[in-house]
Amino acid sequence: MDDQPAGSTGQNVAGEVPDEEPQAVTDETTVHDDDVELERTIGLSGGLAIGVGTMIGAGIFVFPGLAAENAGLAATLSFAIGGVVALLVALPTSELATAMPRSGGGYYFISRGLGTGIGAIVGLGLWLGLVFASAFYLVGLGHYATAVLAEVGVSLGIDPVIAIGLVFGVALTALSIGGTENTAAIQNVVVGILLVVLTAFLSYGVLDALGVFGRSTTPETFFSQGYFPVLTTAALVFTSYLGFAQVATVAGEIKEPSRNLPLAMVGSVVIVTVFYVVTIFVATSAFGADRLGQFGETAMVEVARDLLGVPGAVAILVAGLLATFSSANASILSASRAVYALSRDALLPRRASEINLRYGTPHVALLAAGGPILVLVATGKVELLAEVASFLHLVMYALLCVTVIVLRRRDPAWYTPTYRTPGSPVLPAIGALASVALIVFMQLESILIGVAVMVVSYVWYRYYAADVSLRGDI
Amino acid sequence: MTDRPSVLVPVRVLEGESIPEGVPELLSTAHVVLLGYHVIPDQTAPGQARMQFEEQAIERLDEFEEIFTDAGATVERRLVFTHDGQKTINRFIREEDCLAVLVPNATGSVEDVLVAVRGTVGIDRLARLVAGVFGPIDASVTLFHVGSDDETDADAETLLDAAADRLADLGVAESAIETRLDRDRGPLDAITETAREYDAVVMGETDPSLATFVFGMPADQVAERFFGPVLVVQREPPAESEE
Repeated sequence: MDDQPAGSTGQNVAGEVPDEEPQAVTDETTVHDDDVELERTIGLSGGLAIGVGTMIGAGIFVFPGLAAENAGLAATLSFAIGGVVALLVALPTSELATAMPRSGGGYYFISRGLGTGIGAIVGLGLWLGLVFASAFYLVGLGHYATAVLAEVGVSLGIDPVIAIGLVFGVALTALSIGGTENTAAIQNVVVGILLVVLTAFLSYGVLDALGVFGRSTTPETFFSQGYFPVLTTAALVFTSYLGFAQVATVAGEIKEPSRNLPLAMVGSVVIVTVFYVVTIFVATSAFGADRLGQFGETAMVEVARDLLGVPGAVAILVAGLLATFSSANASILSASRAVYALSRDALLPRRASEINLRYGTPHVALLAAGGPILVLVATGKVELLAEVASFLHLVMYALLCVTVIVLRRRDPAWYTPTYRTPGSPVLPAIGALASVALIVFMQLESILIGVAVMVVSYVWYRYYAADVSLRGDI
Repeated sequence: MTDRPSVLVPVRVLEGESIPEGVPELLSTAHVVLLGYHVIPDQTAPGQARMQFEEQAIERLDEFEEIFTDAGATVERRLVFTHDGQKTINRFIREEDCLAVLVPNATGSVEDVLVAVRGTVGIDRLARLVAGVFGPIDASVTLFHVGSDDETDADAETLLDAAADRLADLGVAESAIETRLDRDRGPLDAITETAREYDAVVMGETDPSLATFVFGMPADQVAERFFGPVLVVQREPPAESEE
């Protein structure tokens, strides 16, 4: 099949054909037809902000309590395992991204590397995976907002977590559609503030845990819950590592992609892994895993209160709100990019990426993200949402690793990555196996929902765009 | 390449901006870098905007290109979808090595032009632009300098005379060149006030500073208050910079 001319062929049920591939990719632009250019405007810090901003919310502000309850102090190990797996995937993904710096991220790479059918499953899965992830972040946000209300002494008759999540879901979608302010700049600032607050807080926490301030901490057996929960917990908390692939969904807009894409993806994984491991260490040292688990989603607030009193609790509450908000926001935007990439390739109706003439925003794609998110938020099931999101992403991650191995072997003329992942094919193979292995440790319910999403995706592809065949060409 | 001075003409092509009256004639002897651009919010992928608006934008750019070519200019054109219009404009100035950027305002036929001379730095580029654009259309050129407190009239005249000589060297008729000196006013006010008597303005780019960050570039401020076209001469690109 390498002998066939490059370029995509076929049309979908509605008679739409895949958009043409660009002619060239430069450091600053993507060039179509000689004189039409798409400017690249996101620098390294912007890329890191997308990656870190998406990830840091969940791992620090939602999971510590849940993870500690499941795995005890060894939850630190669970986060470390998640980080290593993420890194094993981020390296091959970086290679693919430098070879194909186009919007759509993982979906684009896989559809060009492994074929349209698998690409369609991954693409629709990526969109829905991001929808699940956003819903998860919004429920987390609901927990934080509820904690804030409790802190100021407002008590509502009902549990407001889901209601708040829904309100923010609606608000975020509406803001994305109607907002003209510079969302990327805001995201950068939010992430900057978060990192400063967290660094200060964690530094203090580490010193405290090491006994510098003369308090006794709670020493504990590392594997208090046994070895197996370490792995199931790793599978659960892997949702905190879903952000680096979001960097790839805007690969078409990153400046100097051959340098900035690998740095942003690998860099954001390394940064958040360090933060996660230290956070769990501090949290479990302050309270011990059992009590931490009882605090649930907002356990970090109690940790901060214990270490620094009310001001600490307030700081972490605010940080938690910011973090979950930025994660949800980034995921909605990425989901809309995924919808765009699918509709560009005629796997979804072209209408789905239509731009609103008044605001200049893709209102259909944003609603395609925001709508299902609200439905999922309404279920309020944090762990289930997190695991399904992880499942759909892990399938993509495993396939990304496979794609690198396949493309290296086939070596088509257009495949000229400027960054080459080390240790191929061994490390990518390990990355693929590790991704699949994490799936195995998930709850059955999550796996079933994930598989159902994939089956529906494939059926949609067979029905709507069986004739479409996508090929790499840059 | 030609020895015509390259002038960047940025047009927000999908927002109803067009080439104002008189501008094609003004640039008839220039190499016009016609940049049609469309700024989109961060939520939108540039490629998404391209799918929807490319045809319409190309149609308009075709029209504009024809207007310039008919007037006698050579034209290089590009359509860009971007999140950041300023970044795109700066990139074009660099890549296409543009001597100046046009802030397009309508004008009648250009008979006289006010050229703000700030100092000796960049005077060569300024002279090349003025000679290339205004020399062939026989406009009268007034070299204008606003003196500062620690500068004598003699200094200022030396500066303006040197600039006049450069222009004469480049083929501008000496009879068409005047010099004019002002002081006791801020340069910005002086230029804006004086510009009213002229059909067009040429001025230099200002280094970015806190003041330009807060109040905007002086060139933009002049363009806002002056109703004719303003040509902003760009700094020399740094010789093969780092990386």
